[in-house]
Amino acid sequence: MPGVTIRGLTKRYGDVAAVQGLELRVEPGELVALLGPSGCGKTTTLRLVAGFLKPEAGEIWVGERCLSSPAAVVPPERRRMAMIFQSYALWPHMTVDQNVAYGLRLARTPRGERDRRVAEMLKAVQLDGYGSRYPGELSGGQQQRVAVARALVVEPEILLLDEPLSNLDANLREEMRFEIRRLHELFAITTLYVTHDQAEAMVISDRVAVLQDGRVAQIGTAEELFERPRTRFVAEFIGKTNLIDGVADGTGTVARGRLRLRVASTDLTPGAPVAVSIRPHQIELAPRALPGAPAAPGATVLAGTVVRASYLGDGVDYQVRIEESDVVLRVAGPAPPRVRLGESVSVSVAPGACVPLPSERR
Amino acid sequence: MSGLIPRFHAMDRSAPVWVLAAAALGLLILLPLGWLGYMSVSAERGVTLAHYARVFADPQLQKALWNTVVLAFWSGLLSVAIGAPMAWLSARTDLPCSRVIRSLIMASFVTPPFLGAFAWVMLAGPNAGYLNKLYRSLTGADDPLLNIFTMPGLIFVVAIYTFPYVYIMIANTLGLIASDLEEAASILGANRFRVALTITLPMVAPAILSGFILSVLQALALFGSPAILALPAGFHTITTQIWALFHYPPKVETAAAFSVPLLLATALLLLVQKRLLGRRGYASVGGKGAQRRAIPLGAWRYPALLGCLAVLGCAVFLPYGILAKAAFSRAWAQPLTWENFTLANWSFTFLSSSTQGAIVNTLELGVLTACAGAGLAALLAYVTNRKLIVGHQLLAFLALAPIVIPGTVLAVALFIAYTRPPFLLYGTLWILFIAYLTKEMPVGYSQSDATFRGIHSELEEAGRILGAGRLRVLREITAPLAKSGIIATWCFIFIGVIRELSASIILFTPNTKVMSVVIFDLKEEGQFGAIAVLGIFMLAMTFAVVALMQTLLGRDVLGQRSSGTPAGASAAG
Repeated sequence: MPGVTIRGLTKRYGDVAAVQGLELRVEPGELVALLGPSGCGKTTTLRLVAGFLKPEAGEIWVGERCLSSPAAVVPPERRRMAMIFQSYALWPHMTVDQNVAYGLRLARTPRGERDRRVAEMLKAVQLDGYGSRYPGELSGGQQQRVAVARALVVEPEILLLDEPLSNLDANLREEMRFEIRRLHELFAITTLYVTHDQAEAMVISDRVAVLQDGRVAQIGTAEELFERPRTRFVAEFIGKTNLIDGVADGTGTVARGRLRLRVASTDLTPGAPVAVSIRPHQIELAPRALPGAPAAPGATVLAGTVVRASYLGDGVDYQVRIEESDVVLRVAGPAPPRVRLGESVSVSVAPGACVPLPSERR
Repeated sequence: MSGLIPRFHAMDRSAPVWVLAAAALGLLILLPLGWLGYMSVSAERGVTLAHYARVFADPQLQKALWNTVVLAFWSGLLSVAIGAPMAWLSARTDLPCSRVIRSLIMASFVTPPFLGAFAWVMLAGPNAGYLNKLYRSLTGADDPLLNIFTMPGLIFVVAIYTFPYVYIMIANTLGLIASDLEEAASILGANRFRVALTITLPMVAPAILSGFILSVLQALALFGSPAILALPAGFHTITTQIWALFHYPPKVETAAAFSVPLLLATALLLLVQKRLLGRRGYASVGGKGAQRRAIPLGAWRYPALLGCLAVLGCAVFLPYGILAKAAFSRAWAQPLTWENFTLANWSFTFLSSSTQGAIVNTLELGVLTACAGAGLAALLAYVTNRKLIVGHQLLAFLALAPIVIPGTVLAVALFIAYTRPPFLLYGTLWILFIAYLTKEMPVGYSQSDATFRGIHSELEEAGRILGAGRLRVLREITAPLAKSGIIATWCFIFIGVIRELSASIILFTPNTKVMSVVIFDLKEEGQFGAIAVLGIFMLAMTFAVVALMQTLLGRDVLGQRSSGTPAGASAAG
């Protein structure tokens, strides 16, 4: 089973570069999600891999085969890939069986084997008995499963998915995430999965590549991206965060006005601008009136006032104005609320929760 | 697997097909127009503007120009006056029998205008006209009530077959405006009249204006009705004047010089209309899932219905009735008694060799043009939709360009282009074929374009990635899905071809007559019975094809006309 290697991939539409110098390596059998906001180039990248587009620069390799380069593009039909489309792209004039069997028919699989594999695959996606229906007679979720079956039945070297769940309602979407993950573990096909939904990317994939302006901003497991974002963009795009711009005060502290934060790393260059990312749920909040539990060793303790408190059922979303600064922190507290609107609070943040990032604003 | 070979496989077999289709289209349109422009300035030596000078100095030609302006303006205005209220009534109110009204408007839309003009000659000719005889017998007066051989008569006959264009534009726009836009105004305290005036009217204003322009364009390009009604009255329009310039000895250069201003005028008007519609976008906001509640007309329900029926009586019932009567009468002007009944018109029409030949020619041309046109339009629409070759935008422009060419002007251009090497086609059916193909290309293209726009490209890509080449995908996926749309295109073109008069009248030769030309000739001989038979035959074929098309599309011919392109604009005879 081959992996995919993308080197310096560039695709322009007129003057706009949709993808510029993208580098990515997908290991054999791995599922990598391409995650990013609309216009980040993720779908263009997928279509380049599929061979629907020709790159202006860079190369796409699958195993030992160079499939795309500015000089030559192997057409989609000769790439031994399969793709699942946002619209499902089920052919309305063919039954479910005919849709699923199409790829096998092209590969000249003998009739008996074809029927057997189609039946097996429909069973795998829990659609046995639906073979003679037309796509128009199926629900959205069922259509989605047919699209999955049609792609998997040909046993492709590479599987491509283009926002396959975005047309489903919320409940079904969640169910299909686990379903796709299950099928991936069953078949272990090298897979590229495009989505703009970070939760989806985190559930489904082995690794997530966050795309920004046609480049990979950061690639890693969901945990790595969340705990150790390397850019402001990644920190803001994956989960909620507080970003505080400041200047390195020492090798391990960042200052903003009179505020001093001890951060996770100790190799900052004093005087360099640094942004600090603090996840709302990693901030401890306590009423200041109470002496309370002593803060964790080395934690930064700040005084503040609650300026907004929104009860969310499974938690409380606070905004806390930090005294003697212009910083307002978002804090995720447990329900029921322990502090009230307007109350003076003490805020404590462990150094490990303060992730320093390059400060340049995009 | 790398290197050049895969690339050639990617481009390979399908590429020549696209390029060839593009080249055919380019040749079809650019060659005749190039000749037209060249001929209008050609001199023994070098270039001259003498032809233009002559056109604009000749008082007779000036008069024709002015008549055309008068005809186009007033019939446009009358079309709006008829079409706009009817559109509002049928789209917005609880008008009774609105479906019947709609199908009757469709009948008026597909009726060849020159047939309507013939029928009105029989209805309102000053001497023998049926309505005038009725009037005289009722009142004992000597003077006729109506005289159709006048400018007002001509304007009336043109407008009753042109108002459907206005109706379509406005009804479709009204259909897109959700009731809640109007209700939002009501809730703020505006009464029904104020809502109509301040909300609804401004939203449909661009549609009204562009409907007006479409009607004006129709009237400008029309040949049949002016030839039948204006010539006996002793005046010309541009199109009849161009036709007259082809009488022996043909003054081709003058005709060319006279054609170019007409061409520019239609191009300009269409440009204005496109601009108007381009800014219309806001009217469709909230169009999806919009609920519309019918406005109650109250006591006005039946008077409104009566008004609609009166218009449709003039456009459909009376003309169809008089045609039917004439078809079965020895003398059409005599009462319908048993002595006057005959089937001789039918046997004469279908047995005489000249009409037989014309019917065969018409059907041959209809089938041939529809097949070639639907095929070419489908290829072009596919190329432009999937952006297969460089310059596909230009291709779309070229395919729609003939919409600005009035049939008469197209005929002049084709006459010039194909009476000389390398293409000597004058005198054969091929020149008519090319004329029809060119004239119907905008209709065919916009129809096919809509078809392919409805077929998501991911459906094809899904086939590609599973291992099918482009041609195989085209055969197994695209073609089955586009089938009904392409057949509908075929029907549109066929209907357009069998009724075509304005180009045929210049391009025919004794061996290449078509039905419309024969009808026109029979008028010279006063053979109204035979005209009626041929007309009914033509209408029967039209309605059969329309019925087929509606079944295929699952919607009616009027509704499917989309905003930008007046798909029936070449329908004028």
